[in-house]
Amino acid sequence: MNLQLLGNLIRLRYRLIWAKTRSRNGKIALFMAGYLLLVVVIGLLAAGGLGAGMIAVRAGKATQVAAGVLFGVFFCATIGTVILGFGMNAIFAETEMRRYPLRARERELARHIVAMLDPYWYLVVGLELGLLIGLYLYGAGFFWLGVVAVLLLYVCNYVAARVVSTIVERLVARRGGATLLMVAIMALSLGPSFLMPYLQQRPHVAGPYLDWGKWTPPYGAALAMTHPDLSAVRGLALIVLWTVALGAAMVALERRPARVRMASSGKLQWGSRYERAGAFLGPQNAILIGQWLRFFSRNNRFRMMYPLSLPLVGFMIYAFTRQPGMRLGSKGEFASAMGAFAIVGFVGTGQFAVNQFGYVGNGLRRYLLLPVDPAAALRSCSYTFALLDAVLIAVGLVVWPFLSRGPLDPLMLLLLAGCSLTGMFLYLAVGLWASLLAARRGNYYSSFGNDLSFAGNVILIGAMLSLVFLPRLAASRWPDVFWSGYWWVTLTAAALAAAIYWMSLQGAAARFRARRERLVGIMEGRS
Amino acid sequence: MSSAILIRNLAKKYGTVVAVEDLSLDVPKGSMFGFLGPNGSGKSTTIGCLTGLLDPSAGEMEILGERFTAESADLKRRMGVMPETLGLFEPLYAHEFLAFVGRMFGLDETTTRTRVTELLAALELADSRKTLAEYSTGMRKRVAFAAAVIHSPEVLFLDEPFESIDPAGVALMKQWLRRFTEQGRTVFITSHVLETVERLCTAVAIITRPGKLVWQGDITVLAGDGSIQYDGQEFRALEPLFLHLTGQHYADLNWL
Repeated sequence: MNLQLLGNLIRLRYRLIWAKTRSRNGKIALFMAGYLLLVVVIGLLAAGGLGAGMIAVRAGKATQVAAGVLFGVFFCATIGTVILGFGMNAIFAETEMRRYPLRARERELARHIVAMLDPYWYLVVGLELGLLIGLYLYGAGFFWLGVVAVLLLYVCNYVAARVVSTIVERLVARRGGATLLMVAIMALSLGPSFLMPYLQQRPHVAGPYLDWGKWTPPYGAALAMTHPDLSAVRGLALIVLWTVALGAAMVALERRPARVRMASSGKLQWGSRYERAGAFLGPQNAILIGQWLRFFSRNNRFRMMYPLSLPLVGFMIYAFTRQPGMRLGSKGEFASAMGAFAIVGFVGTGQFAVNQFGYVGNGLRRYLLLPVDPAAALRSCSYTFALLDAVLIAVGLVVWPFLSRGPLDPLMLLLLAGCSLTGMFLYLAVGLWASLLAARRGNYYSSFGNDLSFAGNVILIGAMLSLVFLPRLAASRWPDVFWSGYWWVTLTAAALAAAIYWMSLQGAAARFRARRERLVGIMEGRS
Repeated sequence: MSSAILIRNLAKKYGTVVAVEDLSLDVPKGSMFGFLGPNGSGKSTTIGCLTGLLDPSAGEMEILGERFTAESADLKRRMGVMPETLGLFEPLYAHEFLAFVGRMFGLDETTTRTRVTELLAALELADSRKTLAEYSTGMRKRVAFAAAVIHSPEVLFLDEPFESIDPAGVALMKQWLRRFTEQGRTVFITSHVLETVERLCTAVAIITRPGKLVWQGDITVLAGDGSIQYDGQEFRALEPLFLHLTGQHYADLNWL
């Protein structure tokens, strides 16, 4: 094993992270990431670790509590990796590694070690160590055994995340894979909500299934943290076994080449359905919008996120209206629905709308060579998102009466449509500016990963979180506002948002012309 | 002969860095014009300004007798450009990309389909099962070339068109380009392959860093065993003239 070269690669990885801070956005991102990391680690040390330790000592259920916390961390780390792409670095892909004097096995190992040393995993280890310290301080944990368990669990978690993300990536790349994935995610997210009441009434059915948890790596780690005897050895062995099994799966998956989707015949296909769809927004935009539609329809990330967005929002409405302590009756549910419909207005295209040119690479140069106003590319892309969002809004409005449990009033649909349009126009307006001022080059072919700039993340995540929580807060404070008699308010808001969008289009178009050289540089990887 | 491209005192600065300095050029209509210079001398920057990708810091440009800016959509319709970075949309198939470009340049659907099919067949790109991302560098260059000529432009800008293309492809492109100029249309080429430029071009401009014109003239004499007189010296080929004008640097690396 060429350890010196491996060390150099790890150093290079961190140098590349540091290189990102050369821009102003990067500096802010680094500061915020460092700050958040610190706050989250300290918060979890206090709340998760010490709290769990305290509960464990008082209730005498240290293992169960620790297992629950560790399972949560394990699950979230895996999901964070699969959906947001944290902790999986493509900088040192197999093809990249081939330029270095490493043997095949060394390349494989080096790639995984570099990925495991991604700062994201420090957060995960930090959280788990926090729990261990909490347990230790309250007398329910065994420190060194716990440290070994945490380190083994960290490796196991990385391998599990790698396996899941590889499976999902391969699935999305296949025809119909995105739909299959959507069904799987829906089953995973909605399944427990439907199953729990059933299982609670039939403990004899649930019992054996709930025991399965005792065979998971987090439970193994919890055993090792809280038992200084043979149980700890059993726990550690359990993690090792899982790691070996998942490692074998990972190796098998990586050695099996990904299937490249190809056109089924050698004949030229002249389908113009995209242009026909684009013509909805005027014949002068049809070709450009058709081009954007074709471009995004082949993007794995888009193909996964766009169809997923509606059930995701449906799930949010369902979950938030049933949370204990947030039950506000039909008005509370309707308030949630208003927030959710505002999210429907942009969620399907949200991560693309704040970084419009992020995936076109040097294709941006082509747009500027076309015999049209240079800003036509910016406008047509934004119109494309509006078109796609409008489809989701229409579907949402059709589905809503079937999901709603309260009394139905046609004016409610107007209210919800107003919310959606307001969300859509405002988000697209902000997205135009973010695309110009905080553009970032993304990887078109990656199914996962967070390619957004710091500003893009703040806009996307901020908009979603505020629309999830603010309507609920407003409903608890002013419950009388949330009824259909105020339908005109949201429609007025939508009209205002449309005006803001129109003004943003004008302003952003002028700014685009002035900034296009810089944008081309960013998209071609030169700045 | 009237000018196809006329540049007066063109300058392009990036902050304090000068990329092109006070460049003036006159490219006659119907000529095959070679624009040469060492790496980083400002060739691509000049083409960027001439095609509307970049805004010049100073100077004026005229193309086909009309003042050119980035907003000159009508003029752009009469120009074809093959940028150095190709400007392709990688997830598309070649025919989709070419059809998009053809339609944007005002061709109707039937003409577009006919021309795309003919171009793909002529450039041996008819395998429609691969996206542009899956093409080799040479095939991608051919697609970018096809995109530049699909609408029969009057002026063609080609930035390093022959690199990475196999000899058969280069021969085909040269044949098309000659026919192009025979019809009175103009080709503006940058290339580092001086032998090709010498055989193909009728006139040449040579610039040095930072984008300063050092020589412009007719090179047809070289094809007929003639020579170019410059600085009291006689040059029988383009390469020695180029090296003389841009400077020759030899680094003595003993370990190499």
